[in-house]
Amino acid sequence: MTHPTTFGELLEQHEREIFAYALRLTGDRDDADDVYQDTFLAAFRAWPPPRRGTERAWLYKIATNKAIDRSRRTKRFLRLGDLPLAAPERDGVSLADLATAVKALPTGQRAAFVLRKVQGLSYAEVSVALECSEDAARSRVAEAMKKVKEAMR
Amino acid sequence: MSELGVVVAEARERLMQRARREGLETVAYRIVDSPLGPLWIAVGPRGLLNIHYGAEPSPLELRRIVRAYGPGVLPDARRVDPVARELDEYWSGKRHAFDVAVDLSPLTAFQRKVLAVTARVPYGELTTYAKIAHGAGNDRAYRAAAGAIGDNPIPIVVPCHRVVASDGTLGGYAGGLEAKRRLLQLERGAVPPGGWPPAHLSRT
Repeated sequence: MTHPTTFGELLEQHEREIFAYALRLTGDRDDADDVYQDTFLAAFRAWPPPRRGTERAWLYKIATNKAIDRSRRTKRFLRLGDLPLAAPERDGVSLADLATAVKALPTGQRAAFVLRKVQGLSYAEVSVALECSEDAARSRVAEAMKKVKEAMR
Repeated sequence: MSELGVVVAEARERLMQRARREGLETVAYRIVDSPLGPLWIAVGPRGLLNIHYGAEPSPLELRRIVRAYGPGVLPDARRVDPVARELDEYWSGKRHAFDVAVDLSPLTAFQRKVLAVTARVPYGELTTYAKIAHGAGNDRAYRAAAGAIGDNPIPIVVPCHRVVASDGTLGGYAGGLEAKRRLLQLERGAVPPGGWPPAHLSRT
Protein backbone atom coordinates (compact mmCIF):
# COMPACT_ATOMS: atom_id res chain seq x y z
CA MET A 1 0.00 0.00 0.00
CA THR A 2 1.44 3.38 -0.98
CA HIS A 3 1.73 6.26 1.46
CA PRO A 4 -1.21 8.56 0.85
CA THR A 5 -0.31 12.04 -0.37
CA THR A 6 -3.91 13.26 -0.56
CA PHE A 7 -7.06 13.03 1.55
CA GLY A 8 -8.63 11.01 -1.25
CA GLU A 9 -5.95 8.33 -1.12
CA LEU A 10 -6.23 8.09 2.66
CA LEU A 11 -9.99 7.77 2.35
CA GLU A 12 -9.96 5.21 -0.44
CA GLN A 13 -7.36 3.06 1.30
CA HIS A 14 -9.01 2.97 4.73
CA GLU A 15 -12.64 4.14 4.70
CA ARG A 16 -14.15 0.69 4.50
CA GLU A 17 -12.22 -0.78 7.42
CA ILE A 18 -12.73 2.34 9.51
CA PHE A 19 -16.48 2.24 8.87
CA ALA A 20 -16.56 -1.49 9.73
CA TYR A 21 -14.56 -0.74 12.89
CA ALA A 22 -16.99 2.02 13.88
CA LEU A 23 -19.89 -0.35 13.27
CA ARG A 24 -18.22 -3.04 15.38
CA LEU A 25 -17.78 -0.58 18.23
CA THR A 26 -21.26 0.90 18.10
CA GLY A 27 -23.46 -1.82 16.60
CA ASP A 28 -25.54 0.81 14.83
CA ARG A 29 -25.08 2.19 11.34
CA ASP A 30 -26.09 5.76 12.18
CA ASP A 31 -23.65 5.88 15.08
CA ALA A 32 -20.97 4.29 12.89
CA ASP A 33 -21.65 6.90 10.22
CA ASP A 34 -21.08 9.69 12.77
CA VAL A 35 -17.82 8.12 13.98
CA TYR A 36 -16.67 7.66 10.36
CA GLN A 37 -17.49 11.30 9.50
CA ASP A 38 -15.83 12.68 12.64
CA THR A 39 -12.76 10.49 12.13
CA PHE A 40 -12.03 11.51 8.55
CA LEU A 41 -12.86 15.19 9.06
CA ALA A 42 -10.50 15.22 12.06
CA ALA A 43 -7.82 13.43 10.01
CA PHE A 44 -8.16 15.95 7.15
CA ARG A 45 -7.95 18.85 9.58
CA ALA A 46 -4.93 17.34 11.35
CA TRP A 47 -3.16 16.42 8.08
CA PRO A 48 -0.42 15.29 7.56
CA PRO A 49 -0.32 11.99 9.49
CA PRO A 50 2.33 12.18 12.24
CA ARG A 51 4.64 9.65 10.59
CA ARG A 52 4.78 7.98 7.21
CA GLY A 53 3.66 4.38 7.44
CA THR A 54 1.49 4.88 10.55
CA GLU A 55 -1.56 6.29 8.76
CA ARG A 56 -3.69 3.23 9.48
CA ALA A 57 -2.98 3.13 13.23
CA TRP A 58 -3.38 6.93 13.32
CA LEU A 59 -6.89 6.64 11.83
CA TYR A 60 -7.79 3.89 14.30
CA LYS A 61 -6.60 6.12 17.15
CA ILE A 62 -8.83 8.96 15.99
CA ALA A 63 -11.78 6.61 15.43
CA THR A 64 -11.35 5.02 18.87
CA ASN A 65 -11.31 8.42 20.56
CA LYS A 66 -14.35 9.57 18.59
CA ALA A 67 -16.25 6.42 19.53
CA ILE A 68 -15.32 6.79 23.23
CA ASP A 69 -16.30 10.49 23.22
CA ARG A 70 -19.55 9.58 21.60
CA SER A 71 -20.41 6.82 24.06
CA ARG A 72 -19.75 9.25 26.93
CA ARG A 73 -22.03 11.85 25.38
CA THR A 74 -24.88 9.56 24.45
CA LYS A 75 -25.42 7.10 27.28
CA ARG A 76 -28.22 4.93 26.02
CA PHE A 77 -29.10 1.35 25.33
CA LEU A 78 -26.93 -0.25 22.71
CA ARG A 79 -28.60 -1.12 19.46
CA LEU A 80 -26.90 -4.07 17.87
CA GLY A 81 -29.18 -4.46 14.87
CA ASP A 82 -26.59 -3.43 12.30
CA LEU A 83 -23.74 -5.53 13.66
CA PRO A 84 -24.20 -8.32 11.06
CA LEU A 85 -23.29 -5.76 8.35
CA ALA A 86 -19.75 -5.90 9.71
CA ALA A 87 -19.67 -9.57 10.72
CA PRO A 88 -16.08 -10.62 11.53
CA GLU A 89 -14.16 -12.00 8.57
CA ARG A 90 -11.46 -13.68 10.63
CA ASP A 91 -11.12 -17.24 11.85
CA GLY A 92 -11.75 -17.74 15.52
CA VAL A 93 -14.02 -14.75 16.04
CA SER A 94 -17.75 -15.12 15.49
CA LEU A 95 -20.52 -12.59 15.24
CA ALA A 96 -21.70 -13.83 18.66
CA ASP A 97 -18.25 -13.04 20.14
CA LEU A 98 -18.44 -9.56 18.70
CA ALA A 99 -22.01 -8.99 19.93
CA THR A 100 -20.95 -10.16 23.39
CA ALA A 101 -17.95 -7.84 23.37
CA VAL A 102 -20.14 -4.89 22.43
CA LYS A 103 -22.61 -5.70 25.20
CA ALA A 104 -20.18 -6.71 27.94
CA LEU A 105 -17.29 -4.28 27.57
CA PRO A 106 -16.96 -0.54 28.01
CA THR A 107 -15.95 1.25 24.80
CA GLY A 108 -12.22 1.41 25.59
CA GLN A 109 -11.93 -2.33 26.25
CA ARG A 110 -14.23 -3.13 23.36
CA ALA A 111 -11.82 -1.17 21.16
CA ALA A 112 -8.88 -3.29 22.38
CA PHE A 113 -10.79 -6.49 21.57
CA VAL A 114 -12.01 -5.35 18.16
CA LEU A 115 -8.69 -3.83 17.06
CA ARG A 116 -6.76 -7.00 17.72
CA LYS A 117 -9.25 -9.82 17.30
CA VAL A 118 -11.51 -8.50 14.55
CA GLN A 119 -9.59 -5.79 12.67
CA GLY A 120 -6.38 -7.81 12.96
CA LEU A 121 -4.04 -4.95 13.90
CA SER A 122 -0.58 -5.82 15.23
CA TYR A 123 0.10 -5.04 18.89
CA ALA A 124 2.33 -2.19 17.74
CA GLU A 125 -0.63 -0.71 15.84
CA VAL A 126 -3.03 -1.39 18.73
CA SER A 127 -0.66 0.49 21.03
CA VAL A 128 -0.73 3.52 18.69
CA ALA A 129 -4.52 3.36 18.40
CA LEU A 130 -4.99 3.10 22.18
CA GLU A 131 -2.15 5.50 22.99
CA CYS A 132 -0.42 3.10 25.35
CA SER A 133 2.69 0.92 25.41
CA GLU A 134 2.77 -2.37 23.53
CA ASP A 135 2.79 -4.27 26.84
CA ALA A 136 -0.24 -2.36 28.03
CA ALA A 137 -1.96 -3.09 24.71
CA ARG A 138 -1.31 -6.81 25.19
CA SER A 139 -2.74 -6.81 28.68
CA ARG A 140 -5.77 -4.77 27.67
CA VAL A 141 -6.55 -7.17 24.84
CA ALA A 142 -6.07 -10.16 27.17
CA GLU A 143 -8.32 -8.59 29.79
CA ALA A 144 -10.99 -7.87 27.19
CA MET A 145 -10.77 -11.44 25.85
CA LYS A 146 -11.16 -12.84 29.35
CA LYS A 147 -14.28 -10.77 29.93
CA VAL A 148 -15.79 -11.79 26.61
CA LYS A 149 -15.18 -15.46 27.39
CA GLU A 150 -16.76 -15.06 30.82
CA ALA A 151 -19.75 -13.29 29.36
CA MET A 152 -20.17 -16.05 26.77
CA ARG A 153 -20.51 -18.75 29.46
CA MET B 1 -21.62 -3.94 -4.14
CA SER B 2 -22.07 -5.54 -0.68
CA GLU B 3 -24.55 -4.04 1.77
CA LEU B 4 -21.64 -2.60 3.77
CA GLY B 5 -20.24 -1.16 0.54
CA VAL B 6 -23.54 0.63 -0.11
CA VAL B 7 -23.65 2.03 3.43
CA VAL B 8 -20.04 3.25 3.16
CA ALA B 9 -20.74 4.88 -0.22
CA GLU B 10 -23.66 6.81 1.32
CA ALA B 11 -21.50 7.83 4.27
CA ARG B 12 -18.81 9.02 1.86
CA GLU B 13 -21.33 11.20 0.04
CA ARG B 14 -22.20 12.97 3.30
CA LEU B 15 -18.51 13.26 4.20
CA MET B 16 -17.80 14.97 0.86
CA GLN B 17 -20.60 17.48 1.49
CA ARG B 18 -19.13 18.35 4.87
CA ALA B 19 -15.58 18.52 3.51
CA ARG B 20 -16.79 20.93 0.81
CA ARG B 21 -18.64 23.08 3.35
CA GLU B 22 -15.57 23.26 5.56
CA GLY B 23 -13.27 24.16 2.69
CA LEU B 24 -11.25 20.95 3.15
CA GLU B 25 -11.80 19.86 -0.44
CA THR B 26 -9.74 21.84 -2.95
CA VAL B 27 -9.62 19.42 -5.86
CA ALA B 28 -12.33 16.91 -6.84
CA TYR B 29 -11.73 13.76 -8.84
CA ARG B 30 -13.75 11.00 -10.38
CA ILE B 31 -13.13 8.06 -12.69
CA VAL B 32 -15.12 8.42 -15.90
CA ASP B 33 -15.72 5.64 -18.44
CA SER B 34 -14.86 6.39 -22.05
CA PRO B 35 -14.51 4.48 -25.32
CA LEU B 36 -10.76 4.55 -24.60
CA GLY B 37 -11.18 3.00 -21.15
CA PRO B 38 -11.40 4.64 -17.73
CA LEU B 39 -10.17 8.21 -17.32
CA TRP B 40 -9.07 9.71 -13.98
CA ILE B 41 -10.27 13.32 -14.04
CA ALA B 42 -9.46 16.10 -11.54
CA VAL B 43 -11.09 19.53 -11.29
CA GLY B 44 -9.63 22.30 -9.11
CA PRO B 45 -10.88 25.71 -8.02
CA ARG B 46 -9.84 27.27 -11.35
CA GLY B 47 -10.91 24.50 -13.70
CA LEU B 48 -9.97 21.15 -15.17
CA LEU B 49 -6.52 20.07 -13.96
CA ASN B 50 -5.97 16.58 -15.23
CA ILE B 51 -7.34 13.83 -17.47
CA HIS B 52 -5.27 10.70 -17.03
CA TYR B 53 -5.70 7.52 -19.05
CA GLY B 54 -6.47 4.83 -16.45
CA ALA B 55 -8.41 4.36 -13.22
CA GLU B 56 -5.50 5.51 -11.04
CA PRO B 57 -3.98 8.99 -11.02
CA SER B 58 -0.51 9.60 -12.38
CA PRO B 59 1.87 10.04 -9.38
CA LEU B 60 3.60 12.89 -11.26
CA GLU B 61 0.32 14.74 -11.84
CA LEU B 62 -0.83 14.11 -8.30
CA ARG B 63 2.39 15.64 -6.94
CA ARG B 64 1.90 18.64 -9.22
CA ILE B 65 -1.70 19.06 -8.03
CA VAL B 66 -0.75 18.73 -4.34
CA ARG B 67 2.06 21.31 -4.79
CA ALA B 68 -0.43 23.76 -6.29
CA TYR B 69 -3.54 23.10 -4.19
CA GLY B 70 -2.53 21.06 -1.12
CA PRO B 71 -3.66 17.58 -0.08
CA GLY B 72 -7.43 18.27 -0.20
CA VAL B 73 -7.88 16.08 -3.29
CA LEU B 74 -11.11 14.11 -2.78
CA PRO B 75 -13.41 11.83 -4.75
CA ASP B 76 -16.36 14.04 -5.68
CA ALA B 77 -18.42 13.19 -8.74
CA ARG B 78 -20.52 16.36 -8.64
CA ARG B 79 -17.71 18.77 -9.52
CA VAL B 80 -16.43 16.53 -12.31
CA ASP B 81 -19.82 15.93 -13.91
CA PRO B 82 -19.71 18.95 -16.29
CA VAL B 83 -16.45 17.64 -17.77
CA ALA B 84 -17.88 14.11 -18.04
CA ARG B 85 -20.93 15.50 -19.88
CA GLU B 86 -18.81 17.43 -22.40
CA LEU B 87 -16.66 14.37 -22.98
CA ASP B 88 -19.77 12.24 -23.64
CA GLU B 89 -20.89 14.78 -26.22
CA TYR B 90 -17.43 14.73 -27.77
CA TRP B 91 -17.41 10.91 -28.03
CA SER B 92 -20.81 10.94 -29.70
CA GLY B 93 -19.54 13.48 -32.26
CA LYS B 94 -21.91 16.23 -31.08
CA ARG B 95 -19.23 18.42 -29.52
CA HIS B 96 -16.28 19.84 -31.46
CA ALA B 97 -14.94 22.27 -28.84
CA PHE B 98 -14.88 22.15 -25.05
CA ASP B 99 -16.35 24.91 -22.88
CA VAL B 100 -15.02 23.80 -19.47
CA ALA B 101 -12.32 26.03 -17.99
CA VAL B 102 -8.88 24.47 -17.93
CA ASP B 103 -6.24 25.20 -15.31
CA LEU B 104 -2.67 24.94 -16.54
CA SER B 105 -1.27 27.08 -13.72
CA PRO B 106 0.70 24.24 -12.04
CA LEU B 107 2.87 24.03 -15.21
CA THR B 108 5.92 26.07 -16.24
CA ALA B 109 5.47 29.20 -18.37
CA PHE B 110 6.86 27.42 -21.46
CA GLN B 111 4.56 24.41 -21.00
CA ARG B 112 1.59 26.74 -20.61
CA LYS B 113 2.52 28.62 -23.80
CA VAL B 114 2.91 25.42 -25.82
CA LEU B 115 -0.38 24.00 -24.57
CA ALA B 116 -2.20 27.28 -25.19
CA VAL B 117 -1.14 27.04 -28.84
CA THR B 118 -2.12 23.35 -28.93
CA ALA B 119 -5.55 24.20 -27.51
CA ARG B 120 -6.25 26.40 -30.56
CA VAL B 121 -5.84 23.58 -33.14
CA PRO B 122 -9.40 23.12 -34.42
CA TYR B 123 -11.37 19.88 -34.36
CA GLY B 124 -10.40 17.49 -37.15
CA GLU B 125 -7.25 19.43 -38.15
CA LEU B 126 -3.63 18.40 -37.78
CA THR B 127 -0.53 20.34 -36.98
CA THR B 128 3.12 19.51 -36.24
CA TYR B 129 5.41 19.83 -33.24
CA ALA B 130 7.51 22.32 -35.25
CA LYS B 131 4.48 24.55 -35.92
CA ILE B 132 3.49 24.45 -32.27
CA ALA B 133 7.05 25.52 -31.31
CA HIS B 134 6.79 28.34 -33.87
CA GLY B 135 3.39 29.38 -32.44
CA ALA B 136 4.87 29.39 -28.94
CA GLY B 137 7.50 31.88 -30.17
CA ASN B 138 10.53 29.64 -30.41
CA ASP B 139 11.12 27.87 -33.74
CA ARG B 140 14.15 26.01 -32.49
CA ALA B 141 12.52 24.64 -29.35
CA TYR B 142 10.57 21.99 -31.19
CA ARG B 143 11.94 19.13 -29.11
CA ALA B 144 11.06 21.00 -25.91
CA ALA B 145 7.62 21.70 -27.40
CA ALA B 146 7.21 17.98 -28.17
CA GLY B 147 8.19 17.28 -24.55
CA ALA B 148 5.60 19.74 -23.21
CA ILE B 149 2.94 18.25 -25.49
CA GLY B 150 3.86 14.73 -24.36
CA ASP B 151 3.46 15.94 -20.78
CA ASN B 152 0.05 17.51 -21.45
CA PRO B 153 -1.98 16.99 -18.26
CA ILE B 154 -5.31 17.53 -20.04
CA PRO B 155 -5.35 15.33 -23.17
CA ILE B 156 -8.49 15.26 -25.36
CA VAL B 157 -9.65 18.69 -24.07
CA VAL B 158 -6.27 20.26 -24.91
CA PRO B 159 -6.09 18.32 -28.16
CA CYS B 160 -2.48 17.18 -28.31
CA HIS B 161 -3.68 14.22 -30.42
CA ARG B 162 -3.95 16.70 -33.31
CA VAL B 163 -0.17 17.24 -33.24
CA VAL B 164 1.77 14.84 -35.49
CA ALA B 165 5.28 14.56 -36.90
CA SER B 166 6.27 16.76 -39.88
CA ASP B 167 6.17 13.75 -42.25
CA GLY B 168 2.55 13.10 -41.30
CA THR B 169 3.20 10.01 -39.16
CA LEU B 170 1.40 10.01 -35.85
CA GLY B 171 4.36 10.68 -33.54
CA GLY B 172 3.75 9.76 -29.88
CA TYR B 173 0.91 9.92 -27.39
CA ALA B 174 0.78 9.56 -23.61
CA GLY B 175 -2.40 7.47 -23.84
CA GLY B 176 -0.78 5.14 -26.39
CA LEU B 177 -0.78 5.40 -30.19
CA GLU B 178 -3.98 3.36 -30.46
CA ALA B 179 -5.79 6.02 -28.42
CA LYS B 180 -4.39 8.77 -30.67
CA ARG B 181 -5.47 6.82 -33.76
CA ARG B 182 -9.00 6.42 -32.38
CA LEU B 183 -9.32 10.10 -31.49
CA LEU B 184 -8.19 11.13 -34.96
CA GLN B 185 -10.49 8.56 -36.50
CA LEU B 186 -13.42 10.03 -34.57
CA GLU B 187 -12.56 13.51 -35.85
CA ARG B 188 -11.30 12.80 -39.39
CA GLY B 189 -12.25 9.27 -40.37
CA ALA B 190 -9.96 6.29 -40.90
CA VAL B 191 -6.25 6.96 -40.37
CA PRO B 192 -4.22 5.90 -43.45
CA PRO B 193 -1.42 3.42 -42.75
CA GLY B 194 1.68 5.53 -42.08
CA GLY B 195 -0.42 8.61 -41.23
CA TRP B 196 -1.59 11.46 -43.46
CA PRO B 197 0.59 12.90 -46.23
CA PRO B 198 2.17 16.23 -45.16
CA ALA B 199 -0.23 18.11 -47.48
CA HIS B 200 -2.98 17.40 -44.92
CA LEU B 201 -1.18 19.30 -42.20
CA SER B 202 -2.55 22.69 -41.25
CA ARG B 203 -0.54 25.71 -42.41
CA THR B 204 -1.19 27.55 -39.16
